[in-house]
Amino acid sequence: MKRGWFYLIGFLILVMFDSVGAISFKYAGMHALPVEFNVAWLLRLFGKPWVYGAVIGYVGAFFTWMTLLKHAPIGPAFAASHLEVVSVMLLSIWLFNEPLRLPHVLGAIAIVAGIVCLGFAESREHVPEAGET
Amino acid sequence: MPTGSITPLVALLWVLNVVLDTGGQLAFKAAAGDPAAGDGLARWLYMARRPWIWLGIASYVIEFLIWIAFLSLLHLSEAILLGSINIVAIMVAGHFLFGEKLTRMRVAGILLVTLGVLIVGVGG
Repeated sequence: MKRGWFYLIGFLILVMFDSVGAISFKYAGMHALPVEFNVAWLLRLFGKPWVYGAVIGYVGAFFTWMTLLKHAPIGPAFAASHLEVVSVMLLSIWLFNEPLRLPHVLGAIAIVAGIVCLGFAESREHVPEAGET
Repeated sequence: MPTGSITPLVALLWVLNVVLDTGGQLAFKAAAGDPAAGDGLARWLYMARRPWIWLGIASYVIEFLIWIAFLSLLHLSEAILLGSINIVAIMVAGHFLFGEKLTRMRVAGILLVTLGVLIVGVGG
């Protein structure tokens, strides 16, 4: 049970860092347009504060992730961490006035259903990792 | 500039993102899952002396720039859904490299996520 709370709170923190990261990434890209694969693009990118928000999201998610990964098998842990698609979708419709089109809604439903399946796959049976004793 | 349409450049950035994300995650798993690593600070020092964690970090640094370029060319709500294919790539790779089992439920999850990404990619 103690481990259950550890995972729940850990994954919530992970989703929060991932959402902050994704939003910052989008702002960083928007403020560095047009996309060019040269030094000028990198200078535009790193000359604005947004990219550092993305770095904070990345670093925060990294340490949360490495702490969780010590015990969690990579597949299901990765799936649980990807519930951020929902939070990021809703935030981007609100923040960037993006259109919510039908294929996106249907695709998101299928993806979330798939993520839920992966979660169930893990709770129904503990699949020992290679090397786990 | 975000058009919502998948141009050849967007597709290339998408593939590179999947490859770097999967490679980085597998490297992190190799670092974090090492039973000889110990605990606490000693665990971090042990990981820092081995290449896996650095390989993972290098993959992530390149992926960082690729992902920003990708997001610049697409709506974030669409890009984040297309990025979900990483779940499938990582589970399939975890199966082949770390022997993580693909149960029926996991296969169903993988198929549903793939279907969702296809719907977004083709219909979006």
